[in-house]
Amino acid sequence: MSKISEIEGAGLEGPTLNVAPSPHVSDMTFTTKRMMTDVLIALVPLVAMSVFVFRGYAVKQLVVCVVACLASEALFVSMRGKKITLTDCSAVVTGIILALSLPGTAPWYVGALASVVAMGIGKIIFGGLGMNIFNPAMVGRAFVMIAFASLMGAGAYENPAGVVDAISQATPLNAFKGSGIATPVFDLFFGFTNGSIGETSALAALIGGIFLCIRRTASWEIPAGVLSCVVVLAGLADFAAGAGGHVLLHHLFGGALLFGAFFIATDPVTSPLTPRGKFIFGVGVGALVMIIRLFSGYPEGVMFAILLMNAVTPLINRWTIPHPMGDA
Amino acid sequence: MKAILRTNLGQAWLVLLLALIFGMSLAGVQAALGPKIEENKLKETLEKVPVVILGQQAADELTAKGETLVITPNTVAVEKGPVTKYYTLYKADFKDGTPAGWVAKTKGQGYADKIELLVGMDADAGKVTGLFILDQKETPGLGNKIVEDAWRAQYGNKDTATPFKVVKLATGGVNEIDAISGATISSKAVTKLVNQAVSDLKPQVAQLKDSDGKGVQ
Amino acid sequence: MADQPTATERFLQGILPENPVYRQLLGLCPTLAVTNGMKPAITMACSVAFVLVCANVVISLLRNLLKPHLRIVIFTLTIATFVTIADRVLAAYLYQMSKTLGPYIPLIIVNCLIICRCEVCASKQGPFVAASDALGQSLGFGLALASIAAVRELLGTGGLFGYQLLPAAWPDWVIMVLPPGAFITLGLLLGLVNWYSARKSGGSI
Repeated sequence: MSKISEIEGAGLEGPTLNVAPSPHVSDMTFTTKRMMTDVLIALVPLVAMSVFVFRGYAVKQLVVCVVACLASEALFVSMRGKKITLTDCSAVVTGIILALSLPGTAPWYVGALASVVAMGIGKIIFGGLGMNIFNPAMVGRAFVMIAFASLMGAGAYENPAGVVDAISQATPLNAFKGSGIATPVFDLFFGFTNGSIGETSALAALIGGIFLCIRRTASWEIPAGVLSCVVVLAGLADFAAGAGGHVLLHHLFGGALLFGAFFIATDPVTSPLTPRGKFIFGVGVGALVMIIRLFSGYPEGVMFAILLMNAVTPLINRWTIPHPMGDA
Repeated sequence: MKAILRTNLGQAWLVLLLALIFGMSLAGVQAALGPKIEENKLKETLEKVPVVILGQQAADELTAKGETLVITPNTVAVEKGPVTKYYTLYKADFKDGTPAGWVAKTKGQGYADKIELLVGMDADAGKVTGLFILDQKETPGLGNKIVEDAWRAQYGNKDTATPFKVVKLATGGVNEIDAISGATISSKAVTKLVNQAVSDLKPQVAQLKDSDGKGVQ
Repeated sequence: MADQPTATERFLQGILPENPVYRQLLGLCPTLAVTNGMKPAITMACSVAFVLVCANVVISLLRNLLKPHLRIVIFTLTIATFVTIADRVLAAYLYQMSKTLGPYIPLIIVNCLIICRCEVCASKQGPFVAASDALGQSLGFGLALASIAAVRELLGTGGLFGYQLLPAAWPDWVIMVLPPGAFITLGLLLGLVNWYSARKSGGSI
């Protein structure tokens, strides 16, 4: 008993340590709002590309998700009797990322329900921004992915009657997995293919992603981990198939890999704190993506890979706590 | 008296007595209900045999006329290399003795769990007449569409000479089965089971038929 | 024994104040596994009620013969007997339902709710109190199962007891009839019950 009171006494004399929920920032100009604004700027190329490729479908999905995310954040936060914090833009970011991860043909209620789940079960139930374990947008997407499998699954992307050219074809990964048809790498890189509205263009994801890394809003270790792991594993698959680099490029530029690596995996709340931990996290995401793509029934695995790695983030944090100098 | 109570038997007499009473009552329950449970299990399969062979409409007409098929179960062993696979093969005859067809019960891995199904064949195993899924736990909304009539109907009245093949978009080729969108694995699992049962049992059917013809059975 | 609750108190406590699922968090295995439809949920609740009432009454009659170190053996023996009877009866008269519920009927044996009631009530009080306790707890368990199943079946299939209730345009939330739906529904309803009781007792969250 005396020992505890001693420690308490010592605490009272020492400097006060304030512990706030993440995103943790050491620089005072580095506010949540600034980070979110950066993310919004970085998302511009992706949003522009999605609207260019998918036209009305993309606009509809973006409007539904952003409005539903803002409304449900306001609703759930006021239910908890807290001050409404819509101005930090985090709900807008979640809404846009969620919308970009949905197929254009999904009906309005898919995006709306995904937004409510993302905000309610993904974020507010854990205590709001910074307290959540899983990336809210991916929680919402996983919910509708399982709830409306036929509207969200591989087959749902193809809509032969659609007025936009892109959605009349199979998604590149699905075509590749199902029938062994490879989409030209040029189309994959610029994004004139089918898929979730924000994932098609590798170029747009790279532009936005590099901007985020330069601004230090996203930690470069995570995308570096993801991409290096995917390059190695897809390279092996490529070598095994004797495809001369085609399979590798396909895995790198196809699907949601770049979008996920730069925009979703880098969520500061649900990824590890230390640089080493971030790299491990990235490698884990990359490995899971490739395992799901190569060996499972799903053509794409970015969402599940990120959610699974979110779950082990506390563990990675414990492994990679930096030791103080001189401590063995 | 105290010495007796302290022995193990003295301590546990209640447990032993209860075990005896409960054991006896359970034996009674089993004796009373056992035949009914067995009958339920059998009925589930037998009810479907006419439907699988004749189709729903013809089977209904038969029931309306108050007739039933005469169904004889056979256990058939098919040797496949080191392992022997056992099938239950039901032989169905019309009342007048003309053979109606054969139904095989088979089981195999689906997407989520084992799928158990009945495959119907006509009298000389030249055609697959139909398919019925007895038990499955495939994903609701996707894989469990294998139980739907429209999808199963693809297996009706098809030649057994060529194995079934699952394709994404049926182009009208021989014995092509349209995969359920989003549930290719379940579709392929069912097709594999059907193909296997047909190829395993086709020779057996010929044999059984011959032996029947000679009046051995 | 003056401080033991009466039969009426025991009965009422089981329904909400000591609800097996929402208050004691007991018997969650069937709660999660068979609540994807109203029919299996109600069948499960009835089977549990049968086993619980029978086991409670038998244990209560034997309560003066129980030895502390052998009581669990006797509880288990009694419960297992009645579970087996329930399982056989279902297989004989409700064959399809028995197939749907699969292993979850035999698993009632390890449902902590029943052994808990044998220990807490039946081994200490008379058969009448034990029976009313069992009825109250079964009713509470049944209500909990039915509430979860109602949410899951309605959202997951658009109907209840297999009858379509919502308009045909309703998009089935397939996730609700799959295992994740069970966890989500249980969690949200648990929160709702806590919120309600906290409000009633004047507390705040």
